[in-house]
Amino acid sequence: MTELKIFDSLFHPKSIAVVGASSSTVSGGNRFIRNLRAFGYQGPIYPVHPEAAEIEGLKVFPSLGALPETVDYAYVATAAARVPAVIRSGRGKVRVAQVMSSGFGETAEGDSLQQDLLAAARDAGVRVVGPNCLGVYSPRARVSFTRRVTDEPGHVGIICQSGGLGTDIIRRGQNRGLRFSGLVTIGNAVDVSASELLEYFLSDDRTRVIGMYLESARDGRRLFEILRQAGCRKPVVLLKGGGTAEGRRAASSHTGALAGSEQAWAALGKQTGMPIVDTLDAFLDALLLCQCLQPRAQATRHIALFGNGGGTSVLGTDACGRAGFSVPPFPAPILAELEGLKLPAGSSVLNPVDVPAGALQQNEGKAATDIVRVLTHAGNIDAVIIHANMTVITDFQHVDMLKNIISAVTQARLSAAGVAHLILVLRSDGDAEIEEKKRGYRRDAVQAGIPVFNEIAEAARALACLRIIELAREAGQP
Amino acid sequence: MDPHELQSILRGAQEARCGALDEPTGKRILAGYGIAVPNAVVLAGDGSFAQVEGRLKQPYVLKLISPDVIHKTEMGGVRLNLASTQALEQAAGEIRQRVEAAGARVEGWLVEEMAESGVEVVVGGLRDPEFGPMVMIGLGGIFVEIFKDVSFRICPVTRGDALQMVDELQSNPLLKGARGKEGVSIDALVETILRVGGEDGVLMHGQPQVAELDINPLIVSRHGAVAVDARFILDQ
Repeated sequence: MTELKIFDSLFHPKSIAVVGASSSTVSGGNRFIRNLRAFGYQGPIYPVHPEAAEIEGLKVFPSLGALPETVDYAYVATAAARVPAVIRSGRGKVRVAQVMSSGFGETAEGDSLQQDLLAAARDAGVRVVGPNCLGVYSPRARVSFTRRVTDEPGHVGIICQSGGLGTDIIRRGQNRGLRFSGLVTIGNAVDVSASELLEYFLSDDRTRVIGMYLESARDGRRLFEILRQAGCRKPVVLLKGGGTAEGRRAASSHTGALAGSEQAWAALGKQTGMPIVDTLDAFLDALLLCQCLQPRAQATRHIALFGNGGGTSVLGTDACGRAGFSVPPFPAPILAELEGLKLPAGSSVLNPVDVPAGALQQNEGKAATDIVRVLTHAGNIDAVIIHANMTVITDFQHVDMLKNIISAVTQARLSAAGVAHLILVLRSDGDAEIEEKKRGYRRDAVQAGIPVFNEIAEAARALACLRIIELAREAGQP
Repeated sequence: MDPHELQSILRGAQEARCGALDEPTGKRILAGYGIAVPNAVVLAGDGSFAQVEGRLKQPYVLKLISPDVIHKTEMGGVRLNLASTQALEQAAGEIRQRVEAAGARVEGWLVEEMAESGVEVVVGGLRDPEFGPMVMIGLGGIFVEIFKDVSFRICPVTRGDALQMVDELQSNPLLKGARGKEGVSIDALVETILRVGGEDGVLMHGQPQVAELDINPLIVSRHGAVAVDARFILDQ
């Protein structure tokens, strides 16, 4: 485990060197220095440049070898051909170097340069992340390779093979309410592999949920072994790219002809309780759900739906069914309790519970909170999806019903352990005013530990991801 | 079978530049790993079929052994349900004619007892470039070939994995029993999957030489599972 400590240098660097910043133009290195400062990074920053005296107002060192101390992290964004020599000069002076430069193994001509880079890393005793990536984001350490990111730390750790997608994951993710312990882009992963970083996040107390975007794995076997050994103690969600490649070798057997990359990755997911998704949104949805909800000891099977809108309830029930859940009738005592609430005509207290918006705000919106309270304790219900048509609900100005629902859900969560999963679906018409309100409710809800989705179908699919983890734990896999 | 013995068979075949193991050797390995194979007698190309009498129960299956023929069924190199040694002689003569006309050699003959009838299953293996040894199952014939109704797992598989593989097959009602037909022994199938793809299975011990494996078919009946054909493709 001690070799994993090296990745503290990546995510929590005490000092940083930057190779590839310029004294005359604004290059990637300059932007990184500016990002670090704007983000509030407190440690020393050492620009490295053979000729310049000052970059971004900082004293410059002619090479990594000339640094006044051993730095935890070196950001390297210089011409690919120079990179192996730069890494060699970091011997004894750099713990982890991340190479942003491209022109390595991702191109036909760059293969030998990539081998050279790997040899340089081994020779110099420097761990190399990349090449062909964008950087690392670590809000606790105030390190970020990109702007417009929150400094609020969280518990979701991300390993991302693509740089650009890494930016999307942070930005779109944070707007969904995700908060990260760290995100690292790994590009060609010539030295530091996805499985090593996975091992790090599994052992990192600040990381409770792990997401990976991978297109391939050089050490798939290791990935399999680590995931299997981890036994789902932390949820791991995989966004898999490049899944539809054709069979991989000229096969001489039936088995060989039927096998492909997709089958292998699907098997990996099934054997390790790791949900695999194929879109960015499904990935963020699954991560958000795992950030907010603890896997239940007994896997989620039965869902209660509650909200306004008959057609929406019907479509929502269908979506839950397609995701493999049932929307079962309530047991008699729960039904009696719901009937006891004396909801007005037009309401249905059968599952799905469909109550018109006007009825929901009875007694200052107490009707809605009463229903939530009853449903969360219904014995046969594992998850409650509360859906609201924002447009209809915001027309009722005198009572902030969503706020009441959010506080009712919060109370329900606090009042008893093992209550059903509580999920909020805020349906919007896309109108700017409604979107703005939704943003506020989303923030409040996620802060209270309630995941928020745009549609019931998205919630159901995310819940199906969590169920994979719950089932694997239930089966005691491995 | 001791893993060292398996390794020495595989290395020997590789050194002899064999791309694949012949069927008797493949079955010897399977039998060594506790997978049932039919009782068999191997004869030289010019051997006498009379020696089969009394050693195997009738009816017989006759199979060509030839280093030149990869798909022996397509070459007509397999004959089922032969009632006597005379029938064996005659069938062998016919096969020899066809094989030699095609410019291939007859190295020998594999004579086996007919397996009890049951559901034909394919149990396969391969070495994936990213994940290493993997095991596959599917139902023989159209289910594998047309519907691609197969299930893969990374080795080593656990018993839970093996059970899940069976459950995952859309065609599994044919194994479990459907439309008034009785099911076959799921236990025997699961046991075979484990002996092929489990912790101490053929595929784990056969690394890195075994590139692909087809047990096609494994006949699963109410009472057990028998590997009726075995093809090991070796890494070149």
